Amino acid sequence: MKTQLLKITFLMVLALGISSCENESNYEDETPSIANIAVSNSDFSTLEAAAVQGGLAVTLSNSNPNDPSGSYTVFAPTNSAFDRLGLNEETLGVLQDDFLTSTLLYHTSNGDLLSSNIEAGGSAASLLGVNRRFIERDGELFINGSKILATDIDASNGTVHVIDKVMIATGGDIVQSALALQNSNVFVNPELTFLVEAVLYAELAEALTASEGSPSFTVFAPTDQAFINLGAALGLTFEEPADIRQLPKETVQAVLLNHVVANGGQFTSELSQGTITPLGGDPLTLGAYTNGVLTVQGVGNENPANMGIPDVQAVNGVIHVIDQVLLPNL
Amino acid sequence: MKTKIILLALGMFSLHVTAQSPVSGFMQNSGEGAVSLSYNYESFDKVLLVPSEIDGVPVFNEKSLSSFNLYTEVGLSDRFNVTLSIPYIDAEGEASQAVLDETGFENSRNGLQDLGIHLKYLVTSLELGTGNLDLIGSVGIETPLSDYEVDEGLQSILAIGNGSTRFNTIGIATYKLQNGLFATGQFGYSIRNNDVPNALLSQLKVGYAGENIYGDVYLGSQKSTSGVDILGEGFTGFFPAAEVSYTILGANIYVPFADKLGASVGVGQILAGRNIGKATGYSAGLTYSF
Repeated sequence: MKTQLLKITFLMVLALGISSCENESNYEDETPSIANIAVSNSDFSTLEAAAVQGGLAVTLSNSNPNDPSGSYTVFAPTNSAFDRLGLNEETLGVLQDDFLTSTLLYHTSNGDLLSSNIEAGGSAASLLGVNRRFIERDGELFINGSKILATDIDASNGTVHVIDKVMIATGGDIVQSALALQNSNVFVNPELTFLVEAVLYAELAEALTASEGSPSFTVFAPTDQAFINLGAALGLTFEEPADIRQLPKETVQAVLLNHVVANGGQFTSELSQGTITPLGGDPLTLGAYTNGVLTVQGVGNENPANMGIPDVQAVNGVIHVIDQVLLPNL
Repeated sequence: MKTKIILLALGMFSLHVTAQSPVSGFMQNSGEGAVSLSYNYESFDKVLLVPSEIDGVPVFNEKSLSSFNLYTEVGLSDRFNVTLSIPYIDAEGEASQAVLDETGFENSRNGLQDLGIHLKYLVTSLELGTGNLDLIGSVGIETPLSDYEVDEGLQSILAIGNGSTRFNTIGIATYKLQNGLFATGQFGYSIRNNDVPNALLSQLKVGYAGENIYGDVYLGSQKSTSGVDILGEGFTGFFPAAEVSYTILGANIYVPFADKLGASVGVGQILAGRNIGKATGYSAGLTYSF
């Protein structure tokens, strides 16, 4: 009997030794890839979904073939950052895949950009080709209008920094950016269609188009609903963009110039409570910097406008999409 | 009769995808055999990636597999057996309609999976004390029965198999005591095509095979000898190339309830692994012996 038990035990030990060869200790010390970090962290689930939809999940699993270090640096927006734009795993479909891919590339750069090498006032190129600027505000570091919440998360193929806002760049100038929204190149549904029509009607397209040596602007861009609401307030019916032409051209010009500030183009992280003067001449009042955005009010508005999509970087400025048309003294 | 009960307790109480070994540690006598039809269900919402387990299957949140498996083993002689298995698998995901619309993916993949045919040869049977030690060698092949998709990018998280043809060689040692207790250990090597890494297979099973009941507990393992980690260096989105390794703990009970008929139930749990869902599975089957 003893011999039998010994034999059974021997078999058990043998097979257990073989069977148990796979366990966490085999790999728990390995460093995850950037894609794995996004998938593993529940606060990056929208980023994960965006990487899937934008076709970058495999890219960010691997070493960067275009950099000698093999590394990428990703500024990773949290779920809350996407929430600000009404985006989550369920709603990412409102964005065009190509725009989503471009947006992710705008958050990514070649090589390891560690926090120790980031300085306020500096900038860093993105894989989209458009530079991002580093800004300091109240002792905190921002990339464009996005606050950097955590730095230097080590990945097998690079470095991850966490940010509180999604960064958006269109790759075009202010007019091209508005056209991109109008032509459904950003959202599946068109947006800023009234604004684009207004710019064309007011013959301001040339002034807002980038050219050699042309100035950069901060532009407050009212949504379509903002224009529709304005029409209602004026006793008019704005159903389609061309309806804006019911207003005199000079009025539309004056209103639009009330939305453009020739201050080089500033992100929310660079704007402060107080007044700024747009091209139209009547001051705009900025509210307190709260949760990364500011309200903005024209002298002709009863209430301030809110920023729906702040900090859209264009070649010749920064666009903040707002929910009201800013009215000057007409 | 005791011997017969053991023979009925075939190797196929399987959780199919987290498969137990394709062959059992017991031999059928010449001309005898059994056919079993089993239903298997397994699901997981955690995935064992490297370096850590993640909550939620990417895209699909959860994956469940329902399968029917037809399995038979026949004794061509007392020393030479042949086994055959044919599984039909339905894989379901839990992605929301919005996510499906965004990605173009689907929540379901199903079809006939892989035909398995194995030959078993009883090399020797030694009397040791009050028991017998059988040494068995087995070779076999598993190959896709349908052209189910495995290369659809992340959609293939729901693939029903890895699409490879596998050549398996397995050595088995089974020690049976006359009182019904037994222990059987296997060790094998599986050569796979279609860029699926080769793998070492092992299983230890201990149990009791009596006249009125059979029960076992097993610890099984697969260790891929190469491959890439999902979302790791070298990952191209082709899931079959992943280094899939795991340890599974399971148990089975079989009860004969009529002449030549018996019923089985089983459970299994992936304990650890890499590049595999942390699945829990259940099975139920009917066996007809002849």
